[in-house]
Amino acid sequence: MSLALLRDWIVTPLSDRRLVSNFARQEFYAQFTASMGGFLWLILTPIANISIYAFVFSYIFKVRAAEGFGETAFVLFMMIGYLPWFAFADAIGRSTSLLLEKAPLITKVKFPVQVIPVVGTLVPYITHAIGFSLLLLYLATQGYVNSLWVLLPFIFFLQMLFTAGLVAILSSLSVFLRDLQQLVALGINVWFFLTPIIYPLSMIQSDSVKAYFLLNPMHSFVNLYREIVLRGELPLINLQIVIVVSLVSYLFGGWLFMRIKHAFGDVL
Amino acid sequence: MIHTPPRIIVENINKDFKIYTRPQDRLAEILLRRPRHKLYHVLRDISFAVPDGKSIGVIGDNGAGKSTLLKLLVGTLQPTSGSIQTHGQVAALLELGAGFHPEFTGRRNIYLNASLLGVPDDDIAELERGIIEFSELGDFIDRPVKTYSSGMYVRLAFSIATMVRPDILVIDEALSVGDLAFQKKCVQRMNEFREQNKTMAFCSHSMFHVQELCDIAIWIDKGEIKEMGDSHKVVGDYENFCNNKKSYTSVQEDLPAVHTEKQPDQSVGTEEVLQDCKINSLSVCNTEGEEITAIDPLSDLVLEMEVEVLNDNMEGHFGFAFMRSAEEPIASFLTTNAEEIELRRYARGEVFKVRLVVEKVAMRVGEFYVLGGLADKSGLLWYETKFSTQLCMNANKGVGPMTMQATWNLDA
Repeated sequence: MSLALLRDWIVTPLSDRRLVSNFARQEFYAQFTASMGGFLWLILTPIANISIYAFVFSYIFKVRAAEGFGETAFVLFMMIGYLPWFAFADAIGRSTSLLLEKAPLITKVKFPVQVIPVVGTLVPYITHAIGFSLLLLYLATQGYVNSLWVLLPFIFFLQMLFTAGLVAILSSLSVFLRDLQQLVALGINVWFFLTPIIYPLSMIQSDSVKAYFLLNPMHSFVNLYREIVLRGELPLINLQIVIVVSLVSYLFGGWLFMRIKHAFGDVL
Repeated sequence: MIHTPPRIIVENINKDFKIYTRPQDRLAEILLRRPRHKLYHVLRDISFAVPDGKSIGVIGDNGAGKSTLLKLLVGTLQPTSGSIQTHGQVAALLELGAGFHPEFTGRRNIYLNASLLGVPDDDIAELERGIIEFSELGDFIDRPVKTYSSGMYVRLAFSIATMVRPDILVIDEALSVGDLAFQKKCVQRMNEFREQNKTMAFCSHSMFHVQELCDIAIWIDKGEIKEMGDSHKVVGDYENFCNNKKSYTSVQEDLPAVHTEKQPDQSVGTEEVLQDCKINSLSVCNTEGEEITAIDPLSDLVLEMEVEVLNDNMEGHFGFAFMRSAEEPIASFLTTNAEEIELRRYARGEVFKVRLVVEKVAMRVGEFYVLGGLADKSGLLWYETKFSTQLCMNANKGVGPMTMQATWNLDA
């Protein structure tokens, strides 16, 4: 029984690809059509954030890129972590309102509801992949490119699976617990500062504390991007972590979503 | 005889809603596994089957569970117990335009909505023209849906839902929206649907539409099937039930102004006039042809209306009714029900009289109005109705609201 649920969840992006692509297209363009700035806001938000962090950390606190990352400017060092994080944070931040916004649809039209968390993850990732690609393109012209870069799309994809699982969990639970919205907003903020994005992990002195960071999958993702892009090295421990965590998150999240999606109609 | 399995089979379904006093109770129940809700039974032990090509109407008071039943049929709600099987593609008009995104153009919404209904993109492209044409949106199709009037919104939604040609169409009160022109198209579409032997499930407060469009009717009362069967019979019983419940309060108040002229705009000559015909006058006479306002019980009446044809090839239906008030009919006479009448086509500009002789009026006391009405050829869409002045019964000796022609015979 639960295997059938898992199978339905896994094949959804394929079996309902028309619906997913139509939905994704709609959501993607919806980001730009409603407000005047539209596309501009999408670029301005990360630029503004990056500028603030760069100012505070590299100018005021004089944080340097970790040793071993060479001459890389702190801003670039930060951006490599920040842009993929932004995709993650964007998807998670929206997850709690995904189903609530689509309530009229879910209660009035019969369709595979699981496309909603899939699309809800896909769209921010596509959007922010654009920014991340531009950064990588710039770095490539600066001579950073190396053979391990072929792994970047794969890792980005794993990060998306990891996110999709969380989105599925959060979106379905938020139907029953409306307070989740505030909680998630707060959680994202905490998570951001607990992930070495605006500071290098090397700033932490204690090795035992450093080890705890391995419990944070987002740290592993960020570290993978940095090591690959800037140093051409592959930290295996991080890779192992993200592969396992992504699959577990994706499968468990999907299973949970499929398990309780029948109750949505009663509550929404 | 071709035997096809029923399109819809519903077996012993129950639907309960759990009512929580506080939202956190729901969580507490999940975590502590101790019930913290009150059960509200919406539907209890409902079973029926709809054969292929038949239509089913669901009637009942507000809150009886009609909409819940339709949602269960569509599958957006799950029954608490029991099973529902539907065979074929189901399209639902539970809320018109539920899937529309207000910021996008009508055209883009067609694609999204149709893909929600499971139509492949290539097929949508083929259907697109038809949908746009049927919805009569014209250039508006490329404007954001949020700029649409509610009528345009509904037209687009209805066009999409019916254009995808589902096997089963579930409609919740859809006919009550839209202007006359659109209602006409809806009726046409639904009739086409019936002619193609598709299955419809339909819920409405319009008893007339349920009778005309549905073969089977289900009367739901407080979540249980009170009666099920031939739609004429069920609707009749339901009407009777409603009338008995109603206390006689407002006989005068809810009556529209007598002799209201509803003139269609005739100044535009080239445009198609929506209404095929109009009522010029309505009169109630005795058999000598004199207009009357008071009637003796068991006398004969001649009801007559003058009809002017506004469109060529008009094929219509006519009807008279005795009404106690605007909402409360006492008796009705419709050409849709009279198979012996042969209706011909009329040409534009023709003026003719429709006459009905009512013999031996069986009412004894009270006042009533005569209503004359014109419908389109399907008999579903009433263009115009007109009330006569008030008529009054000259009560004869006796008691009770009715009297009848009767013969005594006493064995000595």
